[in-house]
Amino acid sequence: MKFMLKLAVGHSNDPDSQDAITEVLEQIHTTLAGDIPRAGLLFAAIDFEHDQILQKVAETFPNIELIGGTTDGEMSSVLGFEQDSLTLVVFCSDTITISAGIGHNVSKDVDAAAQAAVQQARAAHTEDIQFCISLPESLTTSSQIILDSLKQTLGVQVPIFGGLTADQWRFQQTYQFFKTEVYSDAAPVLLFSGPILFSHGIASGWQPIGKAGQVSKAKDNVVYEIDNQPALAFYHRYLGSLPPSSEYPLALLDSDSDRYYMRAPSGIYDKTTGSITFFGTVPEKTVVHITETTHDDILSASQQSTQQALASYPGKSPAAALFFSCASRRQILGSRTQEEYKQAQHLLGPMLPICGFYTNGEISPLQKQGDTYMHNETFITLLLGDA
Amino acid sequence: MTANLSESQFKIQQLEKENRILHKKLERAQTTNLQLEETTRKKESLLRQVIEEVKDSQATLEQKSNELERAYLNLKDTQTQLIQAEKMSSLGQLVAGVAHEINNPVNFIHGNLRHIEDYAVSLTDFLKIYEMYCPNPSAEIQQQAEDMDIAFIKTDLGKILASMKMGTERIREIVLSLRNFSRMDEAESKYVDIHEGIESTLLILQHRLKANSQRPEIVVIRDFGNLPNIECFAGQLNQVVMNIVSNAIDALDSSLKKTSTAQEHPQILLRTTANLDRVSISIIDNGTGIPLSVRKHIFEPFFTTKAVGKGTGMGMAISYQIIVEKHCGQLECNSEEGIGTEFNITLPTTLRPQA
Repeated sequence: MKFMLKLAVGHSNDPDSQDAITEVLEQIHTTLAGDIPRAGLLFAAIDFEHDQILQKVAETFPNIELIGGTTDGEMSSVLGFEQDSLTLVVFCSDTITISAGIGHNVSKDVDAAAQAAVQQARAAHTEDIQFCISLPESLTTSSQIILDSLKQTLGVQVPIFGGLTADQWRFQQTYQFFKTEVYSDAAPVLLFSGPILFSHGIASGWQPIGKAGQVSKAKDNVVYEIDNQPALAFYHRYLGSLPPSSEYPLALLDSDSDRYYMRAPSGIYDKTTGSITFFGTVPEKTVVHITETTHDDILSASQQSTQQALASYPGKSPAAALFFSCASRRQILGSRTQEEYKQAQHLLGPMLPICGFYTNGEISPLQKQGDTYMHNETFITLLLGDA
Repeated sequence: MTANLSESQFKIQQLEKENRILHKKLERAQTTNLQLEETTRKKESLLRQVIEEVKDSQATLEQKSNELERAYLNLKDTQTQLIQAEKMSSLGQLVAGVAHEINNPVNFIHGNLRHIEDYAVSLTDFLKIYEMYCPNPSAEIQQQAEDMDIAFIKTDLGKILASMKMGTERIREIVLSLRNFSRMDEAESKYVDIHEGIESTLLILQHRLKANSQRPEIVVIRDFGNLPNIECFAGQLNQVVMNIVSNAIDALDSSLKKTSTAQEHPQILLRTTANLDRVSISIIDNGTGIPLSVRKHIFEPFFTTKAVGKGTGMGMAISYQIIVEKHCGQLECNSEEGIGTEFNITLPTTLRPQA
């Protein structure tokens, strides 16, 4: 009998790159029991020797379609929530097609990069693409622009999931992985086609607080002025002299729906002009509020996300789960971050392979059959299984 | 031996790995700690600011609520004043109408009285001449003269005419006072002699000042200074004086009823003085005085100590509005229980242009 979809997860918190990847690959070998993986996702802390790790994976699984990136924290069904760790999830299937692609220099020519990534990955597929997982750069350009470009290239009907690569709250440089190569300023993608089932859930837990302001000057993901004052002044009013950061995002009032969506500061700001760079586009004239949350709100949102995914899962039971959670959630939760994973895992059961990471921005549609959006402060659950 | 060695090596490797992990975790914990501290500081700052904002909006709300309350009270005032003004306007029209209607026939009587007097004098003179030249008329004439009591008519006719004259004079004065009081023709301010207005008001209240079975007559003492004509709404000013004097009479009446040692010399002192560009009118009674609890509310609309149906509670409120708002003056009430009450009206001699 042909097996449709099987996932294996390895996870090591050994800070030594060689030892860590060796441990991860040993765990995967044990689970696979001889099966050859087609594709994989690698989530690695920023301090590892990433090229050594990729080399080792390629030596072990020469034809693997691998993408990955640096993170703000890692989680898996092997170790739960960890920091400074390395986790790899691999996909085995005889019927499902999975292929990787990458586009470079997204900050220079985003459309060319998106096209390159998608074309490279699509070549292997004969059927319609079911969905895409992408792990794009977060610091060099507006992730919204990258996402828009990917959507345009893939077609808006193809849902995209994933998260932006991170660097442990340093906001200096993040890396993306493609097979044996380590990139920065790139957007790797993994495309899925064939008899694969999936569902997802998203939830945040942040609430607007304080007085409203109106964005009076902004370009793409850089906000210059709010209420005709430097954007930094708006933040300083609430945070004192401390710099804006992604655990205090802005809630943006959607003029069409009267609903809020979140935009988090990327940690990049300009003291002289008072501008703040966000993970995502902030349109001019938008009404904004600063937001805040509590541990309990964040944790209950994670559960909600997983419950949503389970409730809308089209098959009997999923074969694996992927989590993309926001770095700001980890930043606020502190030592309670492990609860986020535990609560979600509790809903899914102890046997299900799970892998995920803490991101600088989450990617997913709002609804089952909807347009893909860029999110901040969000917990995304993606359930996968075979038809 | 080799097995032991490799086991030891394995253990060492394990320990080294654990050591690496612990080191990394410690390093990480320190960083996380710093980050969390910063996050906490941000949260504290955020909460402080939000609390400030809440306080601000609370203050704004309170201010708005106060403004609303003031606006509501103003509205209520205006409403009652409108009602009162309408009432006064109707009353004024009525008074002016009555005065006008009475004025003509009274003038008619008053004017003709002189002729009647002339005729009476002529007839009496004629009778004198007749009596002189016909000392002994016929018996029939003598009988008639006796029946008529010609002698009495001759002495009484003059007296009757004099009293009729006095009566019509009084009516004319009252009519003048009514017209003065209503001043329907004076929607605009003009320069007037305040004393004239006070006199008119007193004349209207004359009947209330007189002695009755309960008390002796209320003595009105006039201590009038040398006042210039002042610019005012004369009808309205008369209304104020009327309200205060009328209240003073009420107070004297009720104080006499209340106390067994009846006030033997009820009096109202009216004092006017001029001081630079202001004049003041004091109305002082020697009643029982007004307690502070009542005095505090005396200018509030609908506040009355009178029995239901006896007072509207509007008189002093209207008076206050007329003096303070209409004339930019002052209206004060001083009172000492057992001694009496003094109302002080201070008015500028010239009205400031209304905004």
